[in-house]
Amino acid sequence: MTRIVIGAVGVALAAYGGWLLLTRGHDLLGLDGVVAWLAAGVVLHDGVLAVLTIVLAGVALRLAPTAARAPLAVGFVVLGPLTLLAVPVLGRFGARADNPTLLDRDYTAGWLALAGLTALAVVVASLVRSRRRGR
Amino acid sequence: MRIPDESDFPSRLRSAAVTARVGLWLGFCFAICFVTGLISHYAQNADHPVPFPTSPAWGYRVTQGLHVITGTAAVPLLLVKLWTVYPRLFRRPERDVRRLLLDVAERGSIAVLVASAVFQLATGLANAAQWYPWAFSFRSAHYATAWVAIGALVVHVAVKLPIIRGALGADVDDTTYDRPAADRPGVLGRRGLLRATWLSAGVAVLATAGSTVPWLRQVSVLGVRSGDGPAGIPINKSAVAAGVTASATSADYRLLLVHGDRQVALSRADLLAMPQSTQTLPIACVEGWSASGTWSGVRVRDLLDLVDGPRGTDVLVTSLQQSGPYTTTVLHGNFADDDRTLLALALEGEPLALDHGFPARVIAPDRPGVLQTKWVGRIEVPT
Repeated sequence: MTRIVIGAVGVALAAYGGWLLLTRGHDLLGLDGVVAWLAAGVVLHDGVLAVLTIVLAGVALRLAPTAARAPLAVGFVVLGPLTLLAVPVLGRFGARADNPTLLDRDYTAGWLALAGLTALAVVVASLVRSRRRGR
Repeated sequence: MRIPDESDFPSRLRSAAVTARVGLWLGFCFAICFVTGLISHYAQNADHPVPFPTSPAWGYRVTQGLHVITGTAAVPLLLVKLWTVYPRLFRRPERDVRRLLLDVAERGSIAVLVASAVFQLATGLANAAQWYPWAFSFRSAHYATAWVAIGALVVHVAVKLPIIRGALGADVDDTTYDRPAADRPGVLGRRGLLRATWLSAGVAVLATAGSTVPWLRQVSVLGVRSGDGPAGIPINKSAVAAGVTASATSADYRLLLVHGDRQVALSRADLLAMPQSTQTLPIACVEGWSASGTWSGVRVRDLLDLVDGPRGTDVLVTSLQQSGPYTTTVLHGNFADDDRTLLALALEGEPLALDHGFPARVIAPDRPGVLQTKWVGRIEVPT
C-alpha cells in the first residue's frame, strides 16, 4: 500500500513535469529540441559511454599487471566522471571576448594536473601493492 | 556481433548492494537539487504570492551554490550507479503476459528517469559554463524536466523499495539480491568501489566549487570562474554585450523616478549627493557562482520616498539595456523597503565599473543575480 501511494505521487509529479514541457511552448522537436536532448542522454550513455567503459576495462585487464588493476579502477572512477563534467569548461564553448571574468582559468592545465595527480597515485598504489605481494 | 545477455556481466560489483548505497546518496543530491531549484525558480518569478524572504542576505547564495555543488557531485554518483545496473538492460523478456507488461512499464519508467536525470545534469553543467547548444529556453526546460526527474525517481523508489530496504539493511558483501550470473569478484571489493565513488564525487566538488566557495578558489582548477574581476567581483554580462556603453557613460544620463504623474530625474552627481549607505552583500548568480562585495549607494527606499512611493509596493526597475528578458525586473515590496537594498554607485570604495552596472545598479539581499539590475535608467512605482 505504501509503495502504491509513493508510486502514485511519483507519477503525479512526473506528469506535472510532462504537462509543463508540452504546454509552455518549448522547442520540443528538431535536432536541438528537448526530446532529442532527452533521448541523446540515454543513447550516449547506454550505447557509447557504457560500451567504452567495458572496452577500456577489458584492455586494462589484459595489459595491466595484477597489482595495478585495483588502483587503475579507482583512478578511472575518479578521472572518468571528472573529465566528462569538465567538457563545457575544457571546450570553453561559452567563452566571450567581452567578458574576461568568465571561464578565466587554464582548464587544460588544470585537467592535466588532476590527471597527473591521479596517475601518480595509481603508480604509487600499484608499486606498494606489488611490493606487499612480493614479500 | 550478438546482443549481450545479462549473464555476460559476471562481476559481483554490479550488484543491488552497491546500487542501493550509491543510489541513496544520488537520491539525496537530486532531492537537494530539486528543492534548491524550486527556490531559485520562485525567486526569479515576477509574481510572489508568498513574499520571498530578504534575510538571511546569503540565503540565495547558499541554496544556489548547493544546487550546483550537489548537481556536480551527482555526475560520478549517477555514472557509477548506471554502471552497476547496466546488465539489467539486457535481461530477457518475461514469458508471462502480466509480468511482461509490468516489466515494460518498469523499463519505461527507468528510461524516463535516466533520460531526465542525464538531461538535468548535462544542461545544468553547460548552463554553469554559459554554453547553450540547444534551441529551448534553459530555465523553463530545466524546470519542467526537474519535475519529470523527481517524479520518475519517486516511482523508482516505490518500485524498488523492498530491495532498497533489504540491501541497505544487510552487509555490503551480502549476496541475497545479486544477479545469479554475478559470481566473479571484481578487481576491487564492493567497499573499494564505494570508496572510489565517494572519492570521485568529492574530487568533482573540490575541482569546481571554488566559483562559489571562496576558500576553495585555489584548488578548484575546473571552476567556471576564478573569482577575479573589476573590484574583485566577476561579471555575468558585459556592458558591450548589453549594448549600453554609450548610454551608460553619457553626460545626459539621468535616473528617472516615476510614480503616476510625479517624476524626478537625477544625475549620478545628484545620487552621490544624497545620503549614502554601505552594505556587504553577495552577488549570487543563477548559474551558481557567487561573490561577496561591499557596495555603497543610495537606499532604494530613500529614492521611492522622493516620489512618495507607498511602502510595500512592488516597483519596476528598468535597465538602459534595450533588449533581453531581464531588461525590466520587479523589485518586490519587501525588497524595495529593506534598508540594505541599494541603488549602488560604488563597489569596494571605487566607482562602479561599467561592467558592474555604472552609473547605478540594484543590489539587494538574498536575491538571484539576474534580478540585481545593472545600468538602471528608471524606477517606477506602479499606480
